[in-house]
Amino acid sequence: MPVFKTPFNGYSVKFSPFYEDRLAVATSQNFGILGNGRLHVLSLSPNPSQPFTEIAAYDTADGIYDVSWSESHDSLVVAAVADGSVKLYDTALPPTSNPIRSLREHTREVHSADYNPLRRDSFLTSSWDDTVKLWTLDRPSSIRTFKEHSYCVYSAVWNPRHADVFASASGDCTLRVWDVREPSSTMVFPPHEFEVLTCDWNKYDDCIIATASVDKSIKIWDVRSFRVPIAVMNGHGYAVRKVRFSPHVRNLLVSCSYDMTVCVWDFMVEDALVSRYDHHTEFAVGVDMSVLVEGLMASTGWDELVYVWQHGTDPRAL
Amino acid sequence: MPPQNAGAEIGKPTNVDQQDAAKQSSKASVFVNTEPMREEQVQNAVKFLSHPKVRGSPVIYRRNFLEKKGLTKEEIDEAFRRVPDSQPSEQTAGANQANTPDVQRPAQSQALQPGVSGSTGVTTLSRTRYTFRWSHALIAVGFLVVSGAGTAILIKKSFLPRLKSWIRKIVLEEEYDQLERTDSKLTVAEEASQAAKAAAAAAAALAKANQEILTSRSEERRYFADVVSLLDKQVQEMKLLTSEIRRLEASRGASYSRHEDYQVNQTSSKPFIVNGKQDYGQRSVTSSSQPASVEPSSAPHPKSYMEIMAMIQRGEKPSNIRDIDDSPPNPNQQPSNPRLAPRTKPWEVSQVQQNSTPAFPSQVNVKDLNSSVLDNSDNAVPWWQSKNAGIREIDNGVENNGYGTASGQQPIKRTWVPPQPPPVVMSEAAEAIRRPKPLVQKEQTLDDQSVPHSSDVSDKVMKSSELSKSERPIEGSITNTVLESAEILEES
Repeated sequence: MPVFKTPFNGYSVKFSPFYEDRLAVATSQNFGILGNGRLHVLSLSPNPSQPFTEIAAYDTADGIYDVSWSESHDSLVVAAVADGSVKLYDTALPPTSNPIRSLREHTREVHSADYNPLRRDSFLTSSWDDTVKLWTLDRPSSIRTFKEHSYCVYSAVWNPRHADVFASASGDCTLRVWDVREPSSTMVFPPHEFEVLTCDWNKYDDCIIATASVDKSIKIWDVRSFRVPIAVMNGHGYAVRKVRFSPHVRNLLVSCSYDMTVCVWDFMVEDALVSRYDHHTEFAVGVDMSVLVEGLMASTGWDELVYVWQHGTDPRAL
Repeated sequence: MPPQNAGAEIGKPTNVDQQDAAKQSSKASVFVNTEPMREEQVQNAVKFLSHPKVRGSPVIYRRNFLEKKGLTKEEIDEAFRRVPDSQPSEQTAGANQANTPDVQRPAQSQALQPGVSGSTGVTTLSRTRYTFRWSHALIAVGFLVVSGAGTAILIKKSFLPRLKSWIRKIVLEEEYDQLERTDSKLTVAEEASQAAKAAAAAAAALAKANQEILTSRSEERRYFADVVSLLDKQVQEMKLLTSEIRRLEASRGASYSRHEDYQVNQTSSKPFIVNGKQDYGQRSVTSSSQPASVEPSSAPHPKSYMEIMAMIQRGEKPSNIRDIDDSPPNPNQQPSNPRLAPRTKPWEVSQVQQNSTPAFPSQVNVKDLNSSVLDNSDNAVPWWQSKNAGIREIDNGVENNGYGTASGQQPIKRTWVPPQPPPVVMSEAAEAIRRPKPLVQKEQTLDDQSVPHSSDVSDKVMKSSELSKSERPIEGSITNTVLESAEILEES
């Protein structure tokens, strides 16, 4: 399985929704503390001697914490940059024309970016300045700012079935569900006693959401009855940095953690852990499952490596 | 649906447009809390918010504290409403102001109880606020006066003599003390210095103890090394002895081959054990040089991460940072037009299937078409699609060898997407010509027109169907084979 070595520490990896063989990797120098950043757009090839081709690489003055592919333009990527800017890159344009936008409104690091998969015209960014912002491609400024959290918002994720609903996970230990048609959040509850680092909606059941936290656990909630979780999955040794529900299997989700492992879980089963991959030698910080190819997953971490492998195979196998 | 609708109406702010309310409630009701307010939680929140220390904190922290406790937005808003003089929620919605009598009554009765208990006339609770407040104030003032007078009398009678004698005692003591010490300030300073000395002494003792531990550890290690070397020597001696014994045996009449075996065994086992010892020695050395850096509670950060953090805390900038200008060269640069239509997601496919289109099977087949087309040498599927079960049914006869050098994927549109509004055509062409690598793509509309084109004119073609028709004859054989494959797909 191919490995790509990035010059900087990996932060996020996302498969393209248009091309099965394409993915974007967000990296930051010096672990993202202080330094430049680089956005890689990679293409997988069946040639085993050169498994990755770098289609594009964009340098930024500050680290890139997250990346998101556009759902309307196959060559557009949104980068969440640590200096508070949101940058848009078009891989179809020559590198000298990139970035095509630099949206500077957040006052602190932008931690996540997510493109609306249904409306396909807007995207969210969440930041350490406690806000979530809604943008479209054609406007130079944000359409809305959602300011209700009292600490860093680590993740904002669109609901895959309701075009106007999204959830935000924050360091103030709460999860908020929002509807962009409403003036304020429609739901708020505390899924964990500690900072909630990530959340993701189930692709097949629109009311099920997963949250994961510094307390090393992953919890599955039904927003209709949010007092008690549907499932609690323990097993990670340290904080869980990211969770993603599988786009192909209803009950499957993947998580990556500071314990350097990537785990796949089935939350409807008693013994939820399906597989564990410990290929990283530093914090595993980004993970994604491909929407176009069933079972294909990618992960990246602070060990400056990007792995792409099929579920059930060994990521380090050649 | 009906109970959820009712809950949604309660939970939502009232400034939602009435016309949209019905529509929205049916859609968004799932994501709104529909559970009723818990009175106990609200009262706990009211107590929390009424606390004087909480009053001084920002509203957002108060709200966050209550959210962490699991209160819903409605309960938090209700608590804010009930606590007088505190800022209400940030919602501009016209929620109930704090003037409803029902809400006021419990608040007022709570305030009353700690107040005057024995006073009369309080039982007549009138509805309006102001008159009630005045009588309450008068009674309180009267009570204060009475209690003040009583305490004054008490003080005169019993406290003052005691106070005087106590003061005299202190004055005498002070005079006595002043004889001993010249400046009262010095006592405090001296105490402080003594405490500091004691702390320093304790720290020194600690440091000494630590050093002792370290030295003892190093000593222990030395002893250990000594012991190991002694053991080595002993083992070597024993080896010599055994070799001598064997030699004697051999000389006595053991066979030559056995002697050889022994010697071989000796030579082979010696390096093995020597290596083992060497490893042992190495391990002991390395363990002493790398102290454990694992913290029990939080994740152990890589060593270089801590180094960089330390550097930055000292104010140094890591040397590998470059100055990069990442601003957009043209802030109004239009994104290039999309070459592909958005693909439906796997979780949307089931919905599409229910809508009775033949889309689903064609998607599966197309994937395999892509995969089989991609490989040049053999018929193996690319490694990242190897696990796709049940997708290999399609025969490879559809495979088109003309696409041997195709690099990108060729997804087929299943649903017709309206063409993108055409931008300025000339700039598009100029930019397209600049593009480095030609990509072979094809699209298929429901009209069963397949339009393969090389990338240079791809954008324009996608936009207008007239142009697409003109492209087909140019592409020639490729078009025909694609048409064939499309027909096969349609049939299947």
